[in-house]
Amino acid sequence: MTDTQTRPAADQAKHLPDVRSGPVARGNRKALKRASGRSTRKAVLKHIMLTLTGLVMLYPVLWLVVSSLRPTDEIFRNPGLVISNLEFSNYSDGWTTLSSPFSVFLLNSTLVVVGCIVGNLVSCSMAAYAFARLKFSGKRGWFVVMLTTIMLPIHVIIVPQYIMFSQLGWVNTFIPLILPKILATDAFFVFLMVQFIRGIPRELDEAARLDGCGHPRIFAQIMLPLMTPALATTAIFTFIWTWNDFFSQLLYLTKPEMYTVPLALRAFMDATSATSWGPLFAMSVVSLIPIFLIFLFGQRFLIAGISTTGGK
Amino acid sequence: MRGTRVGRKATGLIGIAAAAALALSACAGGGSTPPTAELSEDPVTLRFTWWGNDVRTAATEDVIAAFEAEYPNITIQPQFTDFGGYWDKLATETAANDSPDIIQMDEKYISTYGGRGALLALNELGDAIDLSEFPDSAISTGTMDGALYGIPVGLTSYSMMANPVLLAAAGVAMPDDESWTWDDLSEAGAAVSASGGGNVFGVQSWGFSDGDLKNFARQHGEDLYNDEGEVSVSVETLTEWWTYLKGMTTSGVTPPPSSTVEKQNAGLAESFTATNTAAFGPWWNSQLTALTDASGTPMELLRIPTTADAEEGSAYYKPSMYWSVSSRTEYPAEAALFLDYMLNTEEAADLLGTDRGVSANEKIRAYIEPNLSETDKAVVAFLDDLADVVGDAPALTPPGGSAVDSLLKQYTEQVLFGQATPAQAAEGFIKDLSASIAAA
Amino acid sequence: MSALGELRTIGHRKVAGSSKEKNENKAAYLFLLPWFLGLAIITVGPMLASLYLSFTKYNLLQPPEIIGFGNFERMLGDERLHNSLGVTFVYVFVSVPVQLGLALALAVVLNRGLRGLSFYRSVFYLPSLLGSSVAIAVLWKQVFGTQGLVNVFIGLFGAEGHGWISDPSTALSTLIILNVWTFGAPMVIFLAGLRQVPQMYLEAAEVDGASKWQRFLRITLPLLTPIIFFNLVLQIIHAFQSFTQAFIISGGNGGPADSTLFYTLYLYNRGFANFDMGYASAMAWFLLLIIGVFTAINFWASKYWVFYDD
Repeated sequence: MTDTQTRPAADQAKHLPDVRSGPVARGNRKALKRASGRSTRKAVLKHIMLTLTGLVMLYPVLWLVVSSLRPTDEIFRNPGLVISNLEFSNYSDGWTTLSSPFSVFLLNSTLVVVGCIVGNLVSCSMAAYAFARLKFSGKRGWFVVMLTTIMLPIHVIIVPQYIMFSQLGWVNTFIPLILPKILATDAFFVFLMVQFIRGIPRELDEAARLDGCGHPRIFAQIMLPLMTPALATTAIFTFIWTWNDFFSQLLYLTKPEMYTVPLALRAFMDATSATSWGPLFAMSVVSLIPIFLIFLFGQRFLIAGISTTGGK
Repeated sequence: MRGTRVGRKATGLIGIAAAAALALSACAGGGSTPPTAELSEDPVTLRFTWWGNDVRTAATEDVIAAFEAEYPNITIQPQFTDFGGYWDKLATETAANDSPDIIQMDEKYISTYGGRGALLALNELGDAIDLSEFPDSAISTGTMDGALYGIPVGLTSYSMMANPVLLAAAGVAMPDDESWTWDDLSEAGAAVSASGGGNVFGVQSWGFSDGDLKNFARQHGEDLYNDEGEVSVSVETLTEWWTYLKGMTTSGVTPPPSSTVEKQNAGLAESFTATNTAAFGPWWNSQLTALTDASGTPMELLRIPTTADAEEGSAYYKPSMYWSVSSRTEYPAEAALFLDYMLNTEEAADLLGTDRGVSANEKIRAYIEPNLSETDKAVVAFLDDLADVVGDAPALTPPGGSAVDSLLKQYTEQVLFGQATPAQAAEGFIKDLSASIAAA
Repeated sequence: MSALGELRTIGHRKVAGSSKEKNENKAAYLFLLPWFLGLAIITVGPMLASLYLSFTKYNLLQPPEIIGFGNFERMLGDERLHNSLGVTFVYVFVSVPVQLGLALALAVVLNRGLRGLSFYRSVFYLPSLLGSSVAIAVLWKQVFGTQGLVNVFIGLFGAEGHGWISDPSTALSTLIILNVWTFGAPMVIFLAGLRQVPQMYLEAAEVDGASKWQRFLRITLPLLTPIIFFNLVLQIIHAFQSFTQAFIISGGNGGPADSTLFYTLYLYNRGFANFDMGYASAMAWFLLLIIGVFTAINFWASKYWVFYDD
């Protein structure tokens, strides 16, 4: 396993035939032109195959979006993607079906997500700085402990954790969801940042050190700005995981006015007894929109993140 | 308490787990402090939780509004879910010391919660709740070791809902429910299925509720639990019960298993009965109004079929549900006031109807009878008719027995899909239910 | 370098010098303070507490009562638990290999100088982000329902529909398909790995007259084995812990006939619906043991098939 961070970027670009990027892509195009008709046919075939696979994969999601704009009684009669007349009432109905309007759940989810992102950014970057740059006793042992916790199933700790938070009176607050992030328990991100910091030339912070800077200043003024890509990756992954998280929110939030989006969707499913799929689909689409936007704008960081650490 | 000491000592050894240990021993403190039954002048907010369908929710919210109009300083905060999600949620809330003040309780759970100190002993509140119009037999169904943990809201009994339109369409006469047997049911059902052409079936499958099983067991001189709180139904009876269901399914009297499972998960409004696709369906008789509303068909209530040599008194009145109060409530007096309002006032009775069963309060029952809707009258009449054939109420579900419905569902599905023989299912069911009770 | 690679190589790395500066030691512990607190309060403390609880009978409302190995003995005779293990194993050992196979195949196709790589990569990756959401589980329930999308398409070809989710013989397959559907994440990792296969090896082999397939089998695949191993370990650990999809699709009970009763779902039901917290804790530790054993087997077996270039 070679370290992706330390390889020269040019070396990677050679194998990355991105149509938009300058001379390399142009070279490819020329090569294609020169190629015989047989291999062009092959390439076309490949594209057809890939497009079909992609279509099959995304079909259910596209159908979900289209169905949310159809009257409920039409949804299951029509497997196609063509809409004859737009029906926005599903959205307005779904928005108000539960005891609180859907905006409450979106706001709750947003609060949890923001808390988790801030927590992860601050605490994980601090821990990562220590592991990557500082010498301290027992460093290797603690590092192994940190790596091991990445693989620990949540079920082993959830019962006592639940008891602890409930005795502190924190059930039906967002604290049990956010506090673990403030305490850097997402070791995955610590590791991601350690890897990133290792790729930053040591000369930069050593120069600052000679100028008499303390570690807090080196961390805040030199390291953090250089770490922006890793911080962005962390923020984006935290967003998606927290937005989708169901298990811990199911345990800790039981009052309807505290529900987050996944809990609201589940309550919606129970409350409507399978008769009003239109509004349920509409709210499902609403719940997926933030993920989709993040995907659209943060893709670069997502790909970099999973290439480095294997996150989902 | 022995457990507490050992527990504390052992956790104390694990220094690093101190926080969790603290939490654990804090639980041991438990127990209810003697409630102060003084009504407060200040604004009071009570949380009130129930499960149910839209009809019930609307009626309950009306009662809350009427109560709040009469007592402006008390606010009732409603919290309702479906039956399935209700118990997970109540369990986690109770564990977190955050349970609602007023709780709609079920017979399957009352000993689990009451026996573990989660519910207030309502008889200790003095006369804050007037129980003079409730027969002792009803009160006793909510009493455990001398403590009244729940007041029965209404009575109900297991019944067979019949759809007269479907029967007429198939040319089947409405059975005489005072004499009919299980064979009569399968015969009538077969005729309906035969003329239904795969869209309409004779009988909606049962086997998903302990009411189904209890009635059948009692017809065979047994019961699901004995007074010691052990599982007492025999393997033979269970085997016979599932064999009969399996036979009905193979012969097409009941719908195909996968449709049954799908509808079962979708709730009352999607059931075969509510969608006019099965002529007979086993339900609690109090569900008549909801089912008639959902289907648009005036359903008829029939007694559960029996066998020719069935035991006398196999039918029984079951408290449809109870009103309980959390032992951790800050406002026992206000909670009692609200319960008293719901149980004893004519205003509340008018609003609530019979959706939660026919009131166990005899005065209220006499009051509402003339004003009831057609279906509600039928519900009351059914229970009245049953009066001379009902036997003693069965033993309370023991703690841990609340797993019964999920176990029944699992084994019924295994039988329907041919994954287990009725005999294997019977043995597995008894073993699993006993283990669940032993572990509680 | 991945977390796994790190764990593997950490053994042979030399410690760089001794801590000469006390100052730095102090600073490090300050920086690590939140992490240490989290380790103690959120991770290790609860872990030990749950180990203790696994030897008790504990219903949340009354104090725990020590019963020795009672819970573990009960697990031996608990057929629903055995069944849930079976369900989980089938899920893990069918969906993970299929998912990884698909991911590798598409990564290889995409890697061969194809136009529009980033577009395809996005399309295949998107489901990985959506896959664990409640919304997709809701959608799945509909797609595979009796009136669902799949049956409508089957109907177009005149075949009889089927209640995929309400039939115990097919319900688990729908969950497996859902997991396979999220093959995009491992695919991206494979793509990153493929880019690091030195081009000159391949060119040299081409000069020697090796066919495309031979080049893939003899050069690319061996060089990729560390990445395959990495994906395998992570996806197996991940699949063992699946919960949300089965919970939503089965309505929380793992039905029909316990055919989708994942181990984690049964654990949740025992602990949080039946107040059986001691037993649930014992089950959690057993899960940890299972995951540990399979990860260890994976590491052990990797000696025989994973090729390290360093």
